[in-house]
Amino acid sequence: MSIFAMDWYLIALLMFIGFYCMLASRSIVRQLIGLEIVSKAAMLTVISAGALTANLVMAQALLITMIVIEVVVVAAGLALLVKAFRVNGNADIWKLDGLKG
Amino acid sequence: MDKGLLAYLLIPLLSAVIIPFAARNRPRLADILANVTLLAGLVNIAWMVLRPSVVADGFADIPGDMLFPLLLVGAIYLVALCVTFFSAWFMEEGQPNRAAYYSLILASVSAMTGVVTTTDFFTLYVFIEVLAVTSFALITTDDSRGGIEGALKYFFLTFPASALIIAGISILLIVLGDLQFETLRIFMASDVPPGPAVFAAALIMLGFLIKAGVVPFHAWTPDAYQGAYAPVSAHLAGIVTKISGVYAIVKLGTLLRFFDGRASALSEMVMFLGLLSIAVGALAALRQKDFKRMLAFSSISQVGYIVLAAGLGTPLAVIGAVFHLFNHATFKTVLFLNSASVEKSAGTTDMEKLGGLEHSMPWTSWTSVIALLSTAGVPPLSGFWSKLLIILALWEAGLRGYAGLALLFSIVTLAYFMVMQRKIFFGRKSQAAESAPEVSAPLLAPAVLMSAVIVALGLLFPYFYTYVKMVAERIIL
Amino acid sequence: MTYHNLLFTLAVLFALWAVMAKKLLTSAIMLALVSVTVSLIFFNLGAPWAGVFELSVCAGLITVLFIGAVSLIRSTEEKHPESRAPFYALPLAAAIFAIAGWFYLPAFFDELASWRRLADGSGTIGTALWDLRRPDLLGQVLMLAAGVFVIKSVFPRRTEK
Repeated sequence: MSIFAMDWYLIALLMFIGFYCMLASRSIVRQLIGLEIVSKAAMLTVISAGALTANLVMAQALLITMIVIEVVVVAAGLALLVKAFRVNGNADIWKLDGLKG
Repeated sequence: MDKGLLAYLLIPLLSAVIIPFAARNRPRLADILANVTLLAGLVNIAWMVLRPSVVADGFADIPGDMLFPLLLVGAIYLVALCVTFFSAWFMEEGQPNRAAYYSLILASVSAMTGVVTTTDFFTLYVFIEVLAVTSFALITTDDSRGGIEGALKYFFLTFPASALIIAGISILLIVLGDLQFETLRIFMASDVPPGPAVFAAALIMLGFLIKAGVVPFHAWTPDAYQGAYAPVSAHLAGIVTKISGVYAIVKLGTLLRFFDGRASALSEMVMFLGLLSIAVGALAALRQKDFKRMLAFSSISQVGYIVLAAGLGTPLAVIGAVFHLFNHATFKTVLFLNSASVEKSAGTTDMEKLGGLEHSMPWTSWTSVIALLSTAGVPPLSGFWSKLLIILALWEAGLRGYAGLALLFSIVTLAYFMVMQRKIFFGRKSQAAESAPEVSAPLLAPAVLMSAVIVALGLLFPYFYTYVKMVAERIIL
Repeated sequence: MTYHNLLFTLAVLFALWAVMAKKLLTSAIMLALVSVTVSLIFFNLGAPWAGVFELSVCAGLITVLFIGAVSLIRSTEEKHPESRAPFYALPLAAAIFAIAGWFYLPAFFDELASWRRLADGSGTIGTALWDLRRPDLLGQVLMLAAGVFVIKSVFPRRTEK
């Protein structure tokens, strides 16, 4: 087994942990943490793909853009969290069940 | 990225940055700036495509590969203009985040233009993320609990989908060494066994299916549409989710050359999910009690038609898909804007409490009826032609079963809209309708404009058809 | 080789810890450690620019944001703790995934690696960003503008009231 296959095997495991956290948790903060783990795994795939094909220059150019996006997404998520907290008084996603049908 | 269309991206961005400064002391200036920007863009597109000399030449001046982006940019500007015009009168006077609201709408217009003009997978991803981020803030504009719930559900479904898209992009980077659309198309047209490229495309496709709200992944759609600030739900249902999810599915379908069977397993999966969406959306809409929620399920069902056609991928089906996307933008905008009018006037969107609005709100009810009939595919409205194209394409490809079911659920669509019409607009006047005056003329103008577009497109479609078909064949084959 | 694999294993372990930690503050700090490990992996793979960005932005800025949000909601979160059972099941689920995946995934990824197409890999980050990825830069500008508008929309000035 090559190093690349081992790396991607562990990346898949990392992604699984992130998705599991998002499915299992009810707290918005913990869901965001799961999301962060998933996106870390996604970033690792990009750089690992660049390293495999001797294309690291392009991969790093992509990654810098991804990091900028990630910061804004996390900031937006936390802003939503603060807003939900202000309106509802808690940060529990399943307590929000006003909409049904 | 197409240089000729770059201005449609940059000008709204510039305007979005100016608005908070300009409107610091005069909040109404934000409305005016946003409306003028979008109107100028729309007039410019109309001049490029529909000026008499171009029409007389049979559209020979417009390069073929510009046609679909231009059509979609036109749809984006049209819907966004209707939404901003409507919001200018709908929004309450003292709304504290008024300037930010218009800035966000313009930023989302910019991002959508980026999505439809890009030629690179990673750039597509970047613009779709921008679009998603603007959507959350727009949904929660009025601080309602429902809005926050919808926004959170949207948030926690789209970003995992983005991670799947990125994983697919990495695999494409390994297999193709490049992320241009053209590279994938050439790769699929060559004799190399497609193998991992199709796996990568399947991951990307899965991400976009989640973002489009196709059936197994539709949990967020009704909540986001129902909970959103009223004009925003028109923006979201009319154009944002269509561009951020469905457009990419259609594009991937053409790039993977679904019609020549090189990725037949993926193609069949997409078609199956499309049909499932049509069925589940239509059947769930039948038993909804809330106007906006019923529209949301109807939206899922209509997206199913587009995805079904994208999965088939023949030129005729792709024309049908793009045209249905455009039509969906027109009729869903009318319906959601009218639901906002009903909400403002009668104070509720619960169908049990409404009834007989035909007498007190004649304009709202008749524009709604036009849009409903177009959604259900009644000739000669524009929705009829796009559904006809999709069903014909299915029939031609030998998929009689799919064609029959698509036709059947079109009739179910008509059925649930009949129920809705009877409950809301026709029938006996209810207590809520008694005290519901017709909304003011500016709030009606967008719905009337869009209804005119629906009727005009329906009547003129046979005239455009030969040209559109020629272009589509040149692009796809 | 061993250092490389060790870093990946560490990232997975920190991620497990971040998910299973009882206190949200511990979770946020473990997430920062995942970020640090990931940035060390980037250095190890020969991507220093990515490593620097990851270290400064993800391990620094995002952690600060998280800790700020956690300290805001901590008191109510501790009053109504959520059920821990799904988190105690995580190591089991991860182990099942790891063992089941061991038979399929490495073989699949080996096959994927054999499909690779080598690029020439010349040039610098600056030229790559500017020449090849210019639309992305436009997207970044748009993203930052959108971020500012989001913050302005969620926390508007309420001086009038």
